[in-house]
Amino acid sequence: MSGWALAVESRSLGISGFVSRVRQRPLPERDNLHVSGMLTVKHPTPTTVRYTVSTRSPTRTFAAELTRLCLGALRFTIGLFLLLVLFAKARVTLVESNRSQTWYLDELFAKGALGHVATQVAEHLAWRWLIPSSAVILWAIFRRGYTEESLLVIRGLGVQTSTSSPTYLSTSSTRFIPTNVIQDIFIHEAFKGFEVKFYLAIVVEGEEDVVVVFPVSSVGSDSIACADRPQNILPKREALEEVWRGTKACLYEPKAT
Amino acid sequence: MPHNIAMISDFFYPQPGGVESHIYQLSSKLIDRGHKVIIITHAYEGRTGVRYLTNGLKVYHVPFFVIYRETTFPTVFSFFPIFRNIVIRENIQIVHGHASLSSLCHEAILHARTMGLRTVFTDHSLFGFADAASILTNKLLKFILSDVDHVICVSHTCKENTVLRASLDPLMVSVIPNAVVASNFRPLHPSEYAVATTSNNSHSLPPPPPPPTSAQPLGPNDPITIVVISRLFYNKGTDLLIASIPRILATHPNVRFIIAGSGPKAIDLEQMLDRHILHDRVTLLGPVRHEEVRDVMVRGHIYLHPSLTEAFGTVLVEAASCNLLIVCTRVGGIPEVLPGHMTVFAKPEEDDLVRATSEAVGLLMGRGGPKGGVRRERFHEQVRMMYSWSDIARRTERVYDLITGSDSSESSRDGRGYYDPQEEAMWRHYGQPSRPASQNFALIDRLKRYYGCGIWAGKLFVLCVVVDYLLFVFLELWFPRSGIDICRDWPKKGKVAEMDGAGDDGGSSLKRDGTIRRTSVVEDDGG
Repeated sequence: MSGWALAVESRSLGISGFVSRVRQRPLPERDNLHVSGMLTVKHPTPTTVRYTVSTRSPTRTFAAELTRLCLGALRFTIGLFLLLVLFAKARVTLVESNRSQTWYLDELFAKGALGHVATQVAEHLAWRWLIPSSAVILWAIFRRGYTEESLLVIRGLGVQTSTSSPTYLSTSSTRFIPTNVIQDIFIHEAFKGFEVKFYLAIVVEGEEDVVVVFPVSSVGSDSIACADRPQNILPKREALEEVWRGTKACLYEPKAT
Repeated sequence: MPHNIAMISDFFYPQPGGVESHIYQLSSKLIDRGHKVIIITHAYEGRTGVRYLTNGLKVYHVPFFVIYRETTFPTVFSFFPIFRNIVIRENIQIVHGHASLSSLCHEAILHARTMGLRTVFTDHSLFGFADAASILTNKLLKFILSDVDHVICVSHTCKENTVLRASLDPLMVSVIPNAVVASNFRPLHPSEYAVATTSNNSHSLPPPPPPPTSAQPLGPNDPITIVVISRLFYNKGTDLLIASIPRILATHPNVRFIIAGSGPKAIDLEQMLDRHILHDRVTLLGPVRHEEVRDVMVRGHIYLHPSLTEAFGTVLVEAASCNLLIVCTRVGGIPEVLPGHMTVFAKPEEDDLVRATSEAVGLLMGRGGPKGGVRRERFHEQVRMMYSWSDIARRTERVYDLITGSDSSESSRDGRGYYDPQEEAMWRHYGQPSRPASQNFALIDRLKRYYGCGIWAGKLFVLCVVVDYLLFVFLELWFPRSGIDICRDWPKKGKVAEMDGAGDDGGSSLKRDGTIRRTSVVEDDGG
């Protein structure tokens, strides 16, 4: 977890006098087990800030991008092929039971090489093997490999927290909290698993519990059980303090001078 | 050199009690002396997570399973991961465990040694050697204390007991008593007395006695109130109390009792009252909160403490601080607590307790005999001079200095040094043992120490220590230190004071050295 890169990039959208600063801390090579996310700060407009924390590898080199692209393509291909196999299996079963000779896409399975392979696979696999294995593969394909959480602060209006969904099929969950119900924002510590961790919380008026801002690791995630451990994206203290300061500064209007 | 200290015990607030207040008072005074102190305890009902108390005292309420009387289930290793995490994030150097019945404290000491930290253990209680439970507890204590750097006991009797129980080298055991916050146990002020007598007779308490005037003994018909505040358990001597009350009341018609506290013996006490029809002369208050103890105490002349075993007896100091004459059994560490002119001792048996109480009543009525009259009105001031938590903290700090090997002369750095420079020099090497002050951390040396614990127990303990060490190595790999956030320290008040001090001295010396401070004070006095 030592490599919390703190990349601050401000994109001022053509507004003058808005200084952009880029600060990047080099990631240590070793310690890849505990690769962690990074905190990204964006200023879409002078009155809004967006803090994003992600477990995705923060490297942006050409090789990394290419690998990412290839992996995506591979996922897509495997998914398509799996669908094809499933379809072929359905076809084989139907054809055998109904004794009817025609079904959809007959030409593809008769002539195409891919269709032929799919039919071969489908004939060798029983349904009871095919269904669980395809379910596992589909889950692996649609699973998002990283978690991204963000806090959007809009001055005078409120904050919006969002957590990326675990799969590509669903959308991220967001929550907007208007300024007038925000009582306080603070950093505190809590027991989490076998550790004590810092978290950033918002006290909302009329609610029993506080809203934890980057919640994935702090609220009931069984991240240890997952294959890749560093689901824990609760940012380190310094990153949290940065977010806290920024949020405080942005949320409450500076005193009129 | 300021230390980072973790106090560990199963017993802490919100549960009231002697160990709890000891830990709290000691910690806050150590913070005043510039150290960083955190407290680790288990989670109580409605009290979990990380909390801050006054003065930046940080309390970790670790979620744990409680089995009996607020003691956690002894799972030898399960506490290690979270303990390691806390110790690393708080930069702890010294782990200080309290109370020998707290398994959390024992485990923490074991893990702390594995992690290479200095450990101190404070024993607050006395144990027997005969029954099975004591033998088991003693064996466990021996295990834990085989490899501790220093042990603190609350009285010399307690020290003797602990040394025997855990087969310790007496040189590594210090005696540092408890203390009381004397301002919380003030005798009734005349103005308060007026209020208390006129109003507030809601729970039919006898009115408080007038403040004792110097050398003015009570008349033979003046009412005398005896206060008893204790948990009503066997070991607190409730049976003795039950047997003696009718005899005392029969001999002295002007005596009344106020008894506060609860426990399994409360029924026996009530039965005795029923049998002898003493309800008009004995008031039972039931459980009393610690803040209210003083209000009960000030209504009495005599405090009766019939305990059968007691390591220190803080309640005696509290009672004496309220200007009460003490009647107590001569057991455990009690004879060390108060000077002879405040107490009348009895053997822990019925006849002698009655005799001692009669003697105390006689003393109040001026029949002093060899002792002469008692000057109760001076007790508070004397107790205030004898017991203070800042003194306790200073002595505990000396233990810390000793085991960490830091220069103990710096202990007067706060300018409120207890000794002046000459005395400081004289005491500098006091208490330094002949052999190295702290134990070696090498695993093989630790194993040797544990192996000596007994034929079977020794091997078992060695096994535990080896497993603990392997667990430590595993944790270092799985949760590397680099992944643990370091906490910010609570902003110290001392820094502000330092700035002020520098300003006063005209910026001549930023370092607030004890000697410089002291000389400047002397100059001020001279000029």
